[in-house]
Amino acid sequence: MAELTQVFKVPESIKKGSKFSFCPGCDHGVAVRLVAEVLDELGIRDNSILVASIGCSVTLYDFLEVDSLEAPHGRALAEATGIKRARPDKVVFTYQGDGDFASIGMAESLHCALRGENVTAICINNTTYGMTGGQLGPTTLLGQVTTTSPTGRNIDYYGYPVKIAEHIALCDGTAYSARVSLDSVPNIKKAKAAIKKAFENQLNGVGFSFVEILSTCPTNWKKTPQQAHARVREEMMPVYKLGVYKDITENN
Amino acid sequence: MENNFIIAGFGGQGVLLAGEVLANSFMLDGNNVTWYPSYGAEMRGGTVNCEIVMNDTEDVSSVNKSETDYILTLNQASFVRFLPKVKKGGCIIANSTLVEEKRPRDDIKYIFVPMTELANELGNTKMTNILSLGVLVKACGLTSLETVTQALDKVLPPHRKNLLPMNIKALNIGYAYDFSLVRA
Amino acid sequence: MTECMEKTSEKVLTKGNYAIANAAVKAGCECYFGYPITPQSEIGEFMSGKMQELKRAYVSAESELAAINMVLGACSTGAKAMTSSSSCAVALMQEALSYAAADELPVVLVSVMRGGPGLGNIYPSQGDYNQSTIGGGDGDYKLIVLAPSTVQECADLTYKAFYLAHKYKNPTILLADGLLGQMMEPVEFKKYPYPEVDNSDWALTGAKGRRARVIRSYAPKAENQCEFLKRLHAKYDLIAQNETDWEEINTEDADIILVSFGSPARNAKSAMRKAREMGIKVGVLRPITLFPFPSKRISELANTAKKFISVEVNMGQMIRDVKLAVNGRAQVELLNRPVGTPPSVEEIVEKLKKESGIV
Repeated sequence: MAELTQVFKVPESIKKGSKFSFCPGCDHGVAVRLVAEVLDELGIRDNSILVASIGCSVTLYDFLEVDSLEAPHGRALAEATGIKRARPDKVVFTYQGDGDFASIGMAESLHCALRGENVTAICINNTTYGMTGGQLGPTTLLGQVTTTSPTGRNIDYYGYPVKIAEHIALCDGTAYSARVSLDSVPNIKKAKAAIKKAFENQLNGVGFSFVEILSTCPTNWKKTPQQAHARVREEMMPVYKLGVYKDITENN
Repeated sequence: MENNFIIAGFGGQGVLLAGEVLANSFMLDGNNVTWYPSYGAEMRGGTVNCEIVMNDTEDVSSVNKSETDYILTLNQASFVRFLPKVKKGGCIIANSTLVEEKRPRDDIKYIFVPMTELANELGNTKMTNILSLGVLVKACGLTSLETVTQALDKVLPPHRKNLLPMNIKALNIGYAYDFSLVRA
Repeated sequence: MTECMEKTSEKVLTKGNYAIANAAVKAGCECYFGYPITPQSEIGEFMSGKMQELKRAYVSAESELAAINMVLGACSTGAKAMTSSSSCAVALMQEALSYAAADELPVVLVSVMRGGPGLGNIYPSQGDYNQSTIGGGDGDYKLIVLAPSTVQECADLTYKAFYLAHKYKNPTILLADGLLGQMMEPVEFKKYPYPEVDNSDWALTGAKGRRARVIRSYAPKAENQCEFLKRLHAKYDLIAQNETDWEEINTEDADIILVSFGSPARNAKSAMRKAREMGIKVGVLRPITLFPFPSKRISELANTAKKFISVEVNMGQMIRDVKLAVNGRAQVELLNRPVGTPPSVEEIVEKLKKESGIV
């Protein structure tokens, strides 16, 4: 009888015995796992420093076995800059929501990219402020109903949503900017490849690397996980198109 | 013993630098000295002044003095503004190229020297400040020409060191100027 | 000038702002993050050249918000890091200071006060005594606050700020004012006189061979927060016990005690000497640490002195701490300038003459 081989296990970078506190069906869990797998595969867990943000990912340091600093809301990439400048030999990364990254922290995010800080930034885009109960955020789609856009996002009142990966790609200091999704297995594989690329870039010292992850919020969207993934495909992807918006390593 | 000085003029006339050279000179002589500008962010064009407090007894000098022992004014506006601040028995020194020779108070000494004119004769209007410093140093007798020369060398930044010989010349012209003739 | 400032045995005539910057470099500051604001911009200007020359970190941050948060980041690795700013911009940093206090990070902030509230103006001021000692961030926290009165002290207390920040893992403010920042005096840059503090038990270095460390302020459970705050405040008590610092002259027989910090304390001292010559029994108490405030000593002096006069360049902020220390046992009065230069020596002497019935 052939011996049994373990082909799937909890990554080493996930804290032993930790239980994710994300809502059922939320894509955060998948995204965190992908980050953990990448840290494992690159063998960088014990040389990395995570800057956690404010929002649903606030307790990320409870799930990852990685040295972590909690940043005030929106300032994660300022903290990351400080860490990287003080200790350039460490792998420094942030994990932020769209509100943290592109609303309250837009200045810190763009300027970090413009300076070309050699850090990695992961941003979860779920088109809403999840933790506070589903309010309108910077990525809320036109027409989308939230608790602070009860009749849907209209331009007169709320202005336009932000296409984060495209904006980051415009910054001269950006080495890599990609938008990925977690709605299907093939897309999850692509997402992992993008995250890995963003960390490898840092190890190679090429500059600011960014991955925007389209993600679900079944609780606030009031949808089942399946319906939520369908929304990602049908409503988000036509606006937030998947792809690599900048990759300076492409031609090398 | 404490002595205080004000050096005042147009922005760009180099009064802060002249003050810094004087303050350095007092320091080199082993005195306690404090230099502060009237206003930290003065830009070119307006009136600028700095105060220097020299002290050979107290370790910390007070600031915001109501009276001044020696006031050096390089333009008319400063002369008018600071005349009332001269201590009784004190001295006001003025650049007579730009300041009208008037003596409204009779309880102080006046020294008028055509500083800008002398600097022009030397070939550089910008030497007015250091030339005037020579006059002030001679008038107060509280530091030596030798120490001020040393201070000048200390204060001029490396990229301005080429101007040191001309500055020393200007300093000496001011110091040698015979102002006893114009003393009140 | 940069050349001169390397030497330790010789005095150099330099501005308060440069003295602070040079002392920070000599204290081993590894990272400077800043955004310009008058009257302290010389600090960032000096650092931009010097830190690059020494291959240390300097970042022209996009805002004061970013600057102070970069300091938090650098400090989380145990690095000596600082920023410098002034009044309305220090206001922007209050959130991060609260986080740093909760995270117990050795942040050093140089605050060179100008006129407020709002944009105010660039004249010297002591209007941020409350901002520094009470703070504008959320929650029960304290910052160590050091107040220089001379340019030499600007340098010496910068050394001390780095030491205390790291010794107690507590954000520390060097609180100067625009006058001190722009003032030149002879300064001797001594060797950094303090021991290096070992931070190997808490700094983020990557979790090699140990469990991961988390530096956080988020405390979802109330009982945890109770324990944390008690521990934090036990640390503040220890700081008060060990580090309270002040200068005291002629207080033993004094009927009147002038209490003053920073640049107005210079005029208080001169006024005291003049008043003593007139036979008025005056003493001076100059707080050097504003937190911890020398409350205990002022309380002792309230047994013998009849009156305390708080000399400040604001509308009366430190006077509150003096009153709390005196606790009604002597009179406490204010002699102030709202903004700008300190009350003149003559003005203080007049007040003293009036109080002692000479005029």
